[in-house]
Amino acid sequence: MRVQKVQILVDCAARRFRPYCLGAEEKEKNMAIDFSLTDEQELLVDSLKEYAERYFGDEQAVNDMYAAHQVPAEAQDAYRDAGFAFMGLPEEVGGIPTDHVTLGLMTEKLYEFTGCMTPFMTGMLGSADLAEFGTPEQAAVIVEEYEKSGQAVCALCLSEPGAGSDNQGMAMTSTKQEDGTFVLNGQKTWVTNGADVPYLLVICKDESPARENNKMSLWLVRRDAPGVSTAHLSKLGQHTVPFVDVFFDNVKVTEADRVGGEGNGWMLLMKNFEFERCLVVAQGLGLAQAAQNDAIAYAKERIAFNKPIITNPRVQGLIEENEMILQQSRHWLYYCLWKLDQGESINADIAMLKSWGTRAHLQVADNAIEVFGGLGYTDEVRVGRIWRDLRGNMLAGGTCEVMDYIAGRAIPKWHKYK
Amino acid sequence: MKIAVAVKVVADDQDIAVAGDRSLDYSKAKPVISTYDKNAIEAAAQLAAATGGVADVISAAAADYDAKTKKDILSRGVEELKVATGLPETADSYATAQALKGLCEGYDLIVTGEGSADFYAGQVNVQLAAALGYPVINEVTGIEAADGKVIVKRTLDSEVQTVEVPLPAVVSVSPAIVEARIPGMRDILKAGKKPSSAADVAVETKVSYDEILAPVAADRKNQIFDDVEAFAAAVAEALK
Repeated sequence: MRVQKVQILVDCAARRFRPYCLGAEEKEKNMAIDFSLTDEQELLVDSLKEYAERYFGDEQAVNDMYAAHQVPAEAQDAYRDAGFAFMGLPEEVGGIPTDHVTLGLMTEKLYEFTGCMTPFMTGMLGSADLAEFGTPEQAAVIVEEYEKSGQAVCALCLSEPGAGSDNQGMAMTSTKQEDGTFVLNGQKTWVTNGADVPYLLVICKDESPARENNKMSLWLVRRDAPGVSTAHLSKLGQHTVPFVDVFFDNVKVTEADRVGGEGNGWMLLMKNFEFERCLVVAQGLGLAQAAQNDAIAYAKERIAFNKPIITNPRVQGLIEENEMILQQSRHWLYYCLWKLDQGESINADIAMLKSWGTRAHLQVADNAIEVFGGLGYTDEVRVGRIWRDLRGNMLAGGTCEVMDYIAGRAIPKWHKYK
Repeated sequence: MKIAVAVKVVADDQDIAVAGDRSLDYSKAKPVISTYDKNAIEAAAQLAAATGGVADVISAAAADYDAKTKKDILSRGVEELKVATGLPETADSYATAQALKGLCEGYDLIVTGEGSADFYAGQVNVQLAAALGYPVINEVTGIEAADGKVIVKRTLDSEVQTVEVPLPAVVSVSPAIVEARIPGMRDILKAGKKPSSAADVAVETKVSYDEILAPVAADRKNQIFDDVEAFAAAVAEALK
C-alpha cells in the first residue's frame, strides 16, 4: 500500500489562489484541516439525493435506460433545471462558479445516489473546456443549447485508433484551403456522448500528421455538419453513456471555429486532465459506495445458518476491506481537489490515486458481488452492473499503466539530494 | 397576491431511535421541513409567481432554526421567513395556531400543508382560520387567483369540486396539488441572503403530554400455514 506524503498549508490566508468556495464565508479561514461541509454543500447533497430518488429511484427504469443506451430527456432536463449542469462554469456562460472540492462532492454523491452511470460528468467537462478555452461567441452555445434541452452540449474528440495517451501519434489533420477556410479529415474514437451532442470539440494536427509535428488545434464543430458521421461502439458496461467513433470527411471549418490559439490545442487540454481524473475517481467512488451500501443492506437481511450473514466474520471482512478502500480513496480524492483549489499541481497525486483507486473501486464491487453470492452474479441486483461500469473507470482518462508511468517519473523529482 | 405559507420543522423521523424504555432519542435526528409542507410551499410559490405576488413562510417553534434549515426553506421560491419562537417542544395545534396568528397580518392568503410529519393532526389550518376569523377550506388540489378571491379544486372520489373562497382565507392543500421542487443551486446560494426573523411569543397550550413512547413491539408468532384457507381465516381473525 502506498503512503502519501501530506503537507498541509497552515495559513490559508497565504494561499496565492483561492477560487470561490460554495458557502466559504462560513468556514474558518485559518483551519488547517476541515472536513465539514458548508450549509450550501449539504443542501446541494440533499438536492442531489432528491433528484436521484425521483429520476433513478426505480431500478426497473434504470435497467431500461441501460437497455435503451440513454438517460431519458426528462431526467436530463431536470438535471439542468436544478442547476447541476451549470456548476463550475463561469458566470459569463450562465454558470455557477464553484471550487473543485464541491464539484468532486457533487460528482461522488450523484453517482452514489443514482448507483448508475449517467452522461453528466463528461458533459460538464466538455462544457468546462469550451467555456475556458473558447471565445465568448463560442462559449455562448452552452447557454443556447441548454435552453433547448438538458443534454450535454459538446463532446471532446481526442483519442484515435492509433493515438490515445500517445498524442503525437494523432493522424487527424486540419488543412488550410486557398480561400482561407480549413478542412478536417480523420477518425476519432471512444467519444463519450458523441452521437448525442450538438457540438464536438475536436483536436487534430495542423496541416501534417507527421509524428514530429506537435502543432495541434482545437475546433468547435457542429455534429450535424456535412462530412461528420458517427458509428456506435458497444461497451462491456456504462451503456447509459453512449460512445462512438466519429468520422470527419472533408469537414469544412473557418478560423472562427478554432478554439484557443493556433497549434496549442494540446497544451490547453492538458490543463484539465488532472481535474478530469479527479472526477473519474469521484464517479467510481460514488458507484463503489452504492455497491457497498447494497452489500451491507443485503448482509443484514440475508439469513443463513439461522442468522444474518453480516454476523459472519468472513462477510464482515469483505465489508471492512471495502470500507478501508472507500475511506482511503475519499480522503485522498478530497486532498487532491483541495490542492487543485490552492492552484497547485496534482499531476502525480491524481495519477497514483486514479491508478490505485479505480482498481480498488472495482474490488469493492467485486466484494459486494461476493456478499450477495450467486444472486450477485445475476441481473436481479445492481452490484454486477456497477462492477461492469467500474471496469471502464480504470481506462477513462488514461489507463492505470499510463498513470503509473506519470507518477513513476514524477516522484523521484520530489527528492532532491545535495 | 401576498401569501404566507405555514411550515413546520420536525425531527427527521428516519433518525429517531427508540431506546430500551421505549422513549425516543432525537439526538441524531436533524431538523427537516415536514414532508407535506414542501408541497404547500411549492403551491404558494407557484401561485405567487402566477399572480406577480410574493410568498413568505411563517412558522412556530420552540427556538429559531439553524442556518441550514433556514436556507432550505428559503431556497424553495419564497422570499422571507418569519418564526414565532418560545413554544413548548410539544406545542399542540391550538398553541401553534395562536402563535401563527400574529404572523398573518398583511397576507391575503394563508396556505398550510395537509398535516405535519410528526403528529399529523391536520388541525392547525382550521384553528388558525378560527383565530383569524377567516374562511377555511382543506384537501385542496388546485388553486387559481381571481379578483378578491381564490378558486380552489378539491378532488373527491367521483368528482372534482370547485369552490370560490373570498380573501383573506386559509387554504390547506393536499400533497397531490403539486410536486415539491428540487431546490436549484442558484436558489440555494441566494437563500442565505434572504431575510429571516424570529421573535418570542406567549401562547397558551390546551393539551399537554405526559410522555411520548414508542409502541410495544409484538413478538412474531412464526406460524407456518400449509393451507391457504386456514391462513386467510387466521388473518381475518387477527384483524377482528
